[in-house]
Amino acid sequence: MSLALAPGRRPGRPRYRLRRAVVETLCLALGFVLVIWSLMPVYNMVLIALSEHGAVFSGDIWPHAPSLESFVVVWTQGFWYLEHFWRQFGNSFFVGLMTMFLTLLIGSLTSFTIGRLRLRHGWLLTNAALLTYVIPASFLAIPFYRIMQGYGLGDNPWSVIAAMVTFATPYAIFIFQQYGKSIPMELDESARIDGASPLQIYVWIYLPLMAPALVAVGTYALLLAWNEYLYQFLLLSSPDVMTVPVALAQFLNSDESPWNYMMATAIVYAVPPIVMYYGFRRYMAAGLTMGGVKG
Amino acid sequence: MVTMSRRSAMAASLGFAATSVLSRPYIANAAATTATVWQVQGFFPEEDAAFRKVVADYEKASGNKIDYSIMPFMALNQKSVSALTSGDVPDLIFHDAPETILPQFAWNDTLLDVSDVVDVQKSKLSPTALDCASYYNSVKKARSFYLCPIKQACEPFHIWGDLVEKAGFKLSDAPKTWDAFWDFFKPMQKPLRDKGMRKIYALGLQVTTVGPNDGNNLFAAFMIANGGKDIVTKDGKLHTDDPKIREAMIKSITWMAAAYTGGFVPPEALSWNDADDNNAFHEKLFVIDFDGTLSTELAMFKDKKAYLEEMVTMGLPNGNDGKPVPALVGTGGGFIPKGSKNAEVAKEYMKYFMQPEVMNANLKEGLGRWVPAIPSIVKDDPFWLDPKDPHRPPYVQEAVLGPTIPSYNAFNPAWGQVQAEQLWTQSVADIVKNGMTAQAATDKAFKRAEAIFAKFTFG
Amino acid sequence: MSSTAQQALAVSRSFVASRPAHRAWHGGLLGTEFAWAIAFAIPYAAVFCAFVVYPVAYGLWLGSKPALYTELFSDPRFLNAVLNTVLYVGIGVNLKMALAFLLSGFFMRKRWWVKSLLVIYILPWAVPALPAFMSIHWLLNGQWGFLNSALWMLFGIDGPIWLNSHWLGLGANIGSYIWKNMPFWTVIFIAGRMAIPQELYEAADMDGATGLRRFRYVTLPLLAQLYLVSTLLSTIWSLGDFNAVFFVSGGGPAMSTEVLATLGIRYAFTIGDPRLGVACVMCALPLLLPMVVLLMHKLRTQEVQL
Repeated sequence: MSLALAPGRRPGRPRYRLRRAVVETLCLALGFVLVIWSLMPVYNMVLIALSEHGAVFSGDIWPHAPSLESFVVVWTQGFWYLEHFWRQFGNSFFVGLMTMFLTLLIGSLTSFTIGRLRLRHGWLLTNAALLTYVIPASFLAIPFYRIMQGYGLGDNPWSVIAAMVTFATPYAIFIFQQYGKSIPMELDESARIDGASPLQIYVWIYLPLMAPALVAVGTYALLLAWNEYLYQFLLLSSPDVMTVPVALAQFLNSDESPWNYMMATAIVYAVPPIVMYYGFRRYMAAGLTMGGVKG
Repeated sequence: MVTMSRRSAMAASLGFAATSVLSRPYIANAAATTATVWQVQGFFPEEDAAFRKVVADYEKASGNKIDYSIMPFMALNQKSVSALTSGDVPDLIFHDAPETILPQFAWNDTLLDVSDVVDVQKSKLSPTALDCASYYNSVKKARSFYLCPIKQACEPFHIWGDLVEKAGFKLSDAPKTWDAFWDFFKPMQKPLRDKGMRKIYALGLQVTTVGPNDGNNLFAAFMIANGGKDIVTKDGKLHTDDPKIREAMIKSITWMAAAYTGGFVPPEALSWNDADDNNAFHEKLFVIDFDGTLSTELAMFKDKKAYLEEMVTMGLPNGNDGKPVPALVGTGGGFIPKGSKNAEVAKEYMKYFMQPEVMNANLKEGLGRWVPAIPSIVKDDPFWLDPKDPHRPPYVQEAVLGPTIPSYNAFNPAWGQVQAEQLWTQSVADIVKNGMTAQAATDKAFKRAEAIFAKFTFG
Repeated sequence: MSSTAQQALAVSRSFVASRPAHRAWHGGLLGTEFAWAIAFAIPYAAVFCAFVVYPVAYGLWLGSKPALYTELFSDPRFLNAVLNTVLYVGIGVNLKMALAFLLSGFFMRKRWWVKSLLVIYILPWAVPALPAFMSIHWLLNGQWGFLNSALWMLFGIDGPIWLNSHWLGLGANIGSYIWKNMPFWTVIFIAGRMAIPQELYEAADMDGATGLRRFRYVTLPLLAQLYLVSTLLSTIWSLGDFNAVFFVSGGGPAMSTEVLATLGIRYAFTIGDPRLGVACVMCALPLLLPMVVLLMHKLRTQEVQL
């Protein structure tokens, strides 16, 4: 169970020093395993991306005559499947960020009003939200296609945003509800005595303390919209509103695609969400300290 | 079991109320002369450009407008199913390989009869294309035209000619009957391996159950070569009770299983997806491959040496009885969903498209990956049999000029389900993996095929 | 199937209704606060009405014809798919959650290299599913794939033909599923661990609790609820997730690794029979509904605790 050990300074007695050395070695070994595990499929993607003809079965374990051509092609939109790549990249950003923002906003408002303001019968809403998951999302494609046409949102990025927010928000609500349990209710009450309105409590107390959960769920919502492809197929059709997953799926059109371009696209496309998660992760620590001081 | 009717389910839902309040007409500013078209994306940019040109020319000629979106086939399949199920449909769907979904759509009476469009060119269209365009409607209890055919394709052999020579053989020596033709390649494996190609196999035989297409197409070709062409007939009937069919099936799977267990096929072939044989073929990991259209060669178009000198395309040898065998042909084209708001424009557009000169120009500009559904075109235009291209003439010979039969999907929607269950290559797997005899594997597959066909009764 | 759903919902509803009424009122909201509370609830209520009610009702309606189920049961792949689904979801989800939970503890360590490792670790989650799973399919190729080449070159081992075996194929699907989804749940548990007030650990330290006991008496009780809710949700989601199986083993060899979701997708979009496709995934409802009810119960009791 050494995994569960939170770090902390121990007295420098020999027994502890030995123990720390053992723990450290085990951690390094675990880290090594994790690197291999996480990177193997990605490494294979890089191998394919670096091979000149998109050779999938080269049998090499090191890039043989590596070529950066495929990344150049992605960068310069030099292949016909990728001729709108940056436009589509931008569309993916718009859809992803909007989904993230709306999911966090709607999810946190709902969990705040039910968990903190204790809206009467509010639990009905969260329980009903679970109905969203009774039929798996990929099998709700047909009715979604239909209502989006009905709402006049055909071939409009907002239809994808709406669908993604629909699937992400119930989850956001559950996690926020669970997470909110650890925030002492006294904080709200003392603020209320000081004359703060619910909106002020939400903005100045609830949201900052929820930061770690907001970052985790926000990344979830972003990646859901970022990588989802079924709904983007279904709801978007013209090249200037399409997102990168739709462009990626074009490669599956043929048995003979340049797989090196496909893999290079996928690798380039995976970078922004990681950077964003890592960037936002700093704010999680900020939320933690605040909780520590006030709680 | 509470069976909600569609209406009550909708009326009961708040969402529907919201829908009707917020809803706007499907195409708010559509003039009566605009048709919405969903077009499948080609393998090559030239195919899409050729499609755009047809649209532009049609718009100029007619004054109507075509509002099109081009999408990958996975998206098109999914969107078509969603549209036809929910009733919110485009005016025309143009699909290169519609035979997996079209039979079910026609069966359910969700398509518009396009006989009047097909009739215009009926005398010129190949009989096979006509068969591929007609489907059974279980509501009207009749077969009719639901597809306006434009293009067709079949499966040629793709061979690395340079590897054949490297192994010390000459392709011109290849026998002219089916099994012997395949067997001709087997002895090449050893000399090639001895020459340092350690991982090479002779045959890219896709005995896969993953597919979705390759294993099924391979099986059908073997059946035809073994005299089992009439496993399904135009009346939609399955003839598994015919001893000739049974014999053909046993022969086919026995040969495939033997080639596999004999070590001439990469063992992984049992679980290949449709792209795996192509990838391996391009890496020269086997000598011969049997795969649809000329895309295998066209993908190497830029590599002039490979395209012009090393690769060889061959049509079908004779059947095992020494007689010529027909190639199994699939047909692509446009179909019109019921509920289309501008069906007249869609029909007019297809009539325009189906004119021989328009069809020819479109397919030529698309690099000739697809051959025309009107056979006279390839005789009138030297492009199709131009000997300067090493691959197109043998392919056109096989797919247009030689004997052809329609893919069985056109005869009965059940065939699509049989294929989706990968029933046939499954029986090869039953032999090589589960140790069944060919007879037992055949019985098992036939029994299941009969059960599936029993669900579709023709009145 | 829909009647089962309705009965279960009815049960849960009557269960809920039997609660003493005053509990729901114990917040004692004042007039303006009540207005705020309502206003805060409106956005989700709107999303629910506009995008959940109709699609779910339509979906249930699509799969409501009894004849569909007779057809399903006559498909020889079906029972096998049910069994595979149980194994795939049962092993995949639980293994993934347990590992994610333990690893979240590892990632709380404040070493620079642990923090950098996190970037690599969450990569699978960020990579688009389709190319990633295709890459796994190819790297597992027995003759020419990366994995067997690497095993041969590094250790001289001749690897098996992974995807030709039912068990290895199923294992590959489960492994791929875990590979893709574990980072996300780890991130969720990291957030959960961050919420545990440091004072609790300090207090435990003062009581002399270290290592295992700190985990046993502080971490575990505080994260148990989160773990349970996450596991339930993850199970519900993975029942409908077809990507890993579809692109890694493709259901092969010989259709032996097919799960309900892939079977459903094939029915719906390969042969154009969406009703059968929906019916196929709705066969998971008897498994899914108890979990939904349990989740509803969890959410409610939690409110009472607060």
